[in-house]
Amino acid sequence: MRITANMMFNQLTKSLQGSMSDIAELNTRLFTGKKINKPSDDVIGTVNAMDYKVNINANEQFQRNIDAASVYLDFNDKSMTSISDNLSKLKAISYQAVNQQQQADRDVFAQQAADYRDFLLTLSNSKIGERYMFSGYRTDQKAFAFNAATNHYGYNGDFGEIKVQFDKEANMAVNVQGSRVFSVPLSRSMPAALFDGTPVSYTEAADTVTGVTTVTVAIGNAGDPAYDTFTYSNVMDMANIMSAAWQYKNIDGADLNADPTLNETMAMHRINALSVPFDDANKQVLTIQAEVGTRQSEFKDQTTKLDNSTLTLQNALAKTEDADMTETIVAIQQAQTALEALRSSSATLLSQSLFDFLK
Amino acid sequence: MSLSGLLDIGKSALLASQTALSVTSHNIANVNTPGFNRQEAILNIASPVAVQGGLMGMGVMVTGIKRNYDNFIQGQLLLQQQNHGRTSAQSQVLSQVEQIFNEVKDLGLQTSLQDFFNAWNDVAVNPEGYTQRNVLIQKANSLVSSAKSMERSILATLKNTNTEINDIVDRINSTASDIAMLNDKIVQAEAGVNSGTANDLRDQRDNLLNQLGDLTGITYYEDKNGAVNVMMGMRSLVSATKTNTLFSQMNSDGNNEIYLDGIHITSNVNKGQLGGLIAARDNIASGPLMDLRRLIASVTKEVNLLHLSGFGLDGSTNNNFFNTLQLSTEDASAGAAIPSSSITDLSQLTLDEYDITFDASSNYYVKDKQTGATVTSGTYDPTGTTIAFDGIEVDISGTVTSSDSFSISPLTDAIRNFGVSITDTDKIAASSFGTELHGNNANALQLSKLSDTTIANLSGSSFSGYYQRLVSDVGVMSRRASDSLKFDDTMLNEIQNRRESVSGVSLDEEAANLIRFQRSFEAGAKMLQVTDELLQTILNL
Repeated sequence: MRITANMMFNQLTKSLQGSMSDIAELNTRLFTGKKINKPSDDVIGTVNAMDYKVNINANEQFQRNIDAASVYLDFNDKSMTSISDNLSKLKAISYQAVNQQQQADRDVFAQQAADYRDFLLTLSNSKIGERYMFSGYRTDQKAFAFNAATNHYGYNGDFGEIKVQFDKEANMAVNVQGSRVFSVPLSRSMPAALFDGTPVSYTEAADTVTGVTTVTVAIGNAGDPAYDTFTYSNVMDMANIMSAAWQYKNIDGADLNADPTLNETMAMHRINALSVPFDDANKQVLTIQAEVGTRQSEFKDQTTKLDNSTLTLQNALAKTEDADMTETIVAIQQAQTALEALRSSSATLLSQSLFDFLK
Repeated sequence: MSLSGLLDIGKSALLASQTALSVTSHNIANVNTPGFNRQEAILNIASPVAVQGGLMGMGVMVTGIKRNYDNFIQGQLLLQQQNHGRTSAQSQVLSQVEQIFNEVKDLGLQTSLQDFFNAWNDVAVNPEGYTQRNVLIQKANSLVSSAKSMERSILATLKNTNTEINDIVDRINSTASDIAMLNDKIVQAEAGVNSGTANDLRDQRDNLLNQLGDLTGITYYEDKNGAVNVMMGMRSLVSATKTNTLFSQMNSDGNNEIYLDGIHITSNVNKGQLGGLIAARDNIASGPLMDLRRLIASVTKEVNLLHLSGFGLDGSTNNNFFNTLQLSTEDASAGAAIPSSSITDLSQLTLDEYDITFDASSNYYVKDKQTGATVTSGTYDPTGTTIAFDGIEVDISGTVTSSDSFSISPLTDAIRNFGVSITDTDKIAASSFGTELHGNNANALQLSKLSDTTIANLSGSSFSGYYQRLVSDVGVMSRRASDSLKFDDTMLNEIQNRRESVSGVSLDEEAANLIRFQRSFEAGAKMLQVTDELLQTILNL
């Protein structure tokens, strides 16, 4: 092949260009610390990196959700403890009805029951931020309120479960509906008779929409002078009935019976009839607390899982798009050496011509 | 044989050497001229004369000056020049578009898309929170502006490409007229000459042909007079000394179409920079741009569908989160028009584009442009026909012919109309139930999960999956173009080297020739001197 001046020149400029663009690309890699700087550098790598980022981002969001949810769950956990304490106390007071009590003691019991009732009401209307914690979805409403017309405590909430996403496929409720905590369905161990042998019956009516169970208690046989019925739908109701009964009164403030002896018997019956429901209510609260605990530990597990998954993804991401610095620097040095060699050899070649040797 | 015969031989030697020296000088002078082919004086033995005892040589004569030129290489060079022009233009445009989708640097849509759905997640965690709702509206707005800025950048690239197409059309015209002018000169120069060609003019013309090949796809042939005829897009661009004008005209899509001598040839222009630009432009418009619009239309559709079914803090429902999708219609009919078109059922919308055509017996056909399937058909009533299909209702009235057509697209304006329609945070429908349930987050939860849901309109991908595919398509497109460019560059270089090898000037070679012909000139002169001395000798007798 004939070699001409232009061929050499073209070849040289091409080679110089090639070397320079190699160095420029390696330099970009060094500046950015990334080996992929545009999608066409490595299409599969780019798409993988995007996918890793999506997943890392999703994990961060789930973690954020868990952090927010944990506040609610921790609160629920602590609330259950307080509620349970109150219920134990109420149950203890209800057991005092087995014996006849002095007026002064009865006043104390009545006052204590009223205090626990009010304390439970306050607990049921706890609020975090803008949210009433025990109202289901109706978080802008207090969960329970006293109805002066019926002298009963009513539930304003619903059975809504506020769920939070903590994994791609999984949600978990962060609230406990007030109706589940404060309203108690009948258990299997309801007594058929009171301490003195008086028959007692409990009938329940459940509202499936709100989750509230209304229980009607009948004491004695219909037609008896001391026959008595009353209803309650939550623990505040129960405490309220008991507080009144210790004063030998109905919840509306009237005497239970005109006859003082019957009045006392009926009041003692009422208080005694409430002791098993108080016990059940306490059990239910402890069950819910265990449930909340399970959710908390599931969140804890999920946090570990998310951390691990994020770490794996970040490693994969780094492997996909980060440049190996040592390798890059060595490559730059190689390219520079090649460029220098090219420059010095071309300097010699281009400057020589036969004309130099003609005289 | 006389002594004066010797003088003639000496003279022929001098003349031949001088001509060869001129040719050598010409070569040296043009060592760096692009397209110059090395020339050579062709020396031949002069016709001998008969003398007693045989034929006697009569010296040397120059029979011509030829250029070292290989027709085959020139053909290959032109072809490769066209490929190179195409790939270099394509790679340039596509690498610009690639930057718009450069997710490696977190430019693009992915972050804002994810932020938007994360904001829904935050609303789900805190459905009664004002801050979370406000952040959601902010994130939605930044998704809108990301999408809009991406579309703007793509459209700007397309506009630049169209401007460049215009420039190239001008350059093709001027190159074509230069070729026509050279044709004229070459025909005139070669007309009287029996042997040899107008070397330097031909070099210039070959060079122009190569330049033209870089600009556009051409074929050419040389006629018997030495003029070349150049064809472009199967039409004549240069015919001997006559040229036809190429011009570009903008169509309704804002794209420049190419006309040669009034005939539309855009689809026949495949090579050279012009072909590359047209191909890149059409690829971008039908690929990334369309896909981006489809993605945004799909986000609008799915988010709105869920949002319409939910309830705000104020109990309001049936509110759109994003501005509603709008149909755009294109009318390719003289007699008929579409007075109204609307989306009647958002959930039925396929996000495909449709063509409505008519036949001679006034039936209409609606064809899905993406699947190619006929969606519906029926009898057309010129007083007004309502056509309903796939959640779309179109009214057409007026006289139609079988060559008329309408096209309907929910995508064209999808990004232009994209915007957040909710301004009141209380209207954000986090709740799935009618009465004012502040804590109900079921709908927000559904909306946040949309980011992972597979969407039928996006061929079963999720939003981010579809977007990833889009980025990978752009990456592959750009990669293919730059790989082709590398290949075509090497090929072109190779062919140019081969051309140089045959036609290029080697200064060393010319230096040697210089010495060679200088010596032969000196020897010829010496010969004259000797002859002169011989004559003196005779004269002194």
